[in-house]
Amino acid sequence: MLSWTIVRTPPTGFKQFAPYIVALIELKSGVKMAGQLVDCNILKLKSGVKVKAVLRKVRESSKEGIIPYGIKFKIK
Amino acid sequence: MTIGIAGVYTTKFGELWSQGFASLMKEAIYGALEDANLEIKNLDAIYVGNMLSGNFGDQEQLGAAISGELGLNIPAIKVEAACASGGIAVHQACQAVKSGSYQTVLALGIEKMTDYAPEEVAAGLMQAASEDERIAGLTFPALYALMARAHMQKYGTTESQLALVAVKNHFHASLNCKAQYPFTLTKQDVLNSTCIADPLKLYDCSPITDGASAVILTAKNQQVKILASQVATDSTGLAGRESITEIKATKLASQKAFASANIDPQEINVAELHDCFTIAEILALEDIGFVKKGEAGPRLEKGQFKLGSKGLIVNTSGGLKAAGHPVGATGVKQVVEIVEQLRGSAGKRQVKGEAKLGLTHNIGGSGGTAVIHILTNKGKAFNKN
Repeated sequence: MLSWTIVRTPPTGFKQFAPYIVALIELKSGVKMAGQLVDCNILKLKSGVKVKAVLRKVRESSKEGIIPYGIKFKIK
Repeated sequence: MTIGIAGVYTTKFGELWSQGFASLMKEAIYGALEDANLEIKNLDAIYVGNMLSGNFGDQEQLGAAISGELGLNIPAIKVEAACASGGIAVHQACQAVKSGSYQTVLALGIEKMTDYAPEEVAAGLMQAASEDERIAGLTFPALYALMARAHMQKYGTTESQLALVAVKNHFHASLNCKAQYPFTLTKQDVLNSTCIADPLKLYDCSPITDGASAVILTAKNQQVKILASQVATDSTGLAGRESITEIKATKLASQKAFASANIDPQEINVAELHDCFTIAEILALEDIGFVKKGEAGPRLEKGQFKLGSKGLIVNTSGGLKAAGHPVGATGVKQVVEIVEQLRGSAGKRQVKGEAKLGLTHNIGGSGGTAVIHILTNKGKAFNKN
């Protein structure tokens, strides 16, 4: 984890998750991506900690009921 | 060649519920024409800087919508680069004059934002970011918070130093009758304000604003001239950048601008920097080369960059932070403010001494686009081209 923040004023589609942690992650390959950190003790938040990718619901469901899934991260 | 500034105008910035899009547009355009002592029929082309006219207002083909409203049939073109749309409109107007195709070109920046719910505006603005950032539920305060935390870790920048940017810019806005928030704040007010995206708090953030600004450029010589107009781009997302403790596009655009104007950063007397969040002004001070990396915070603690201090004065308008940030208008308003400073007509906000060189710095998104303009009131001495 390179850096992190806690989103307290979310955009449309993210209200039910707020407040939530978002981090900038560098993968082993060197590729970077932004993603939410879940199941996380806020006191453990520190740049440099190791994380692993997990599959989670990423947004509130659409009117059609489709649940959008995507990648989030957990502290290892 | 010379690009002269014939006329400038900016509307009041704020929650302008009594003024619609057309009213703001006409006030800015006719205001600039009056300042230039020109008539609407003298315009050869219009470039419009705007981001959200399709989302908020359902109006695309904005160039024609504006020229139609004005009863004109001249080329009128919308340009979009998120919060740098205004800077890009001025840049395109410069290119048009330089090409010799047009003699008199108007750059308009305009945005109407406050009629919509904050979460709708937040989602609209996130169109300027990258897909992984949207899926992660990031917002612009949160993107700059990621940069702020990394900068704090690498250079020891503190929340208190960030707060000083807001204190300084609110003081400047208190002298600007066009500013959205013309009142002062203390450092404690900023530090005690509600957390938006840690470590950024409410008073670290620029507001949602309505407003319009216009600049008329001409091939003829004028008191204030544009010496350099440069643009650089980079990944729209933080993950695609080499570093998040600097904005590479700012560095590249500034280097090109200083080279083409044939001056050093230290020669600039007054600057309008893109302070959408307090950390953004710190990044800009360093990346443009006014101070070394990590030095902006300590310099702010010494009281530098504030009206009345020695050396470079930054964001006399109040910046985006306190004058307001109607995204498409901001880059044009910055040029308006520097023109007023170089004409010596900025009133209570006038910088002391003889200001000869001014700079504007306009950013799109979290650093995907950077636009730098260098302006002067001097004669041939600085006219390299």
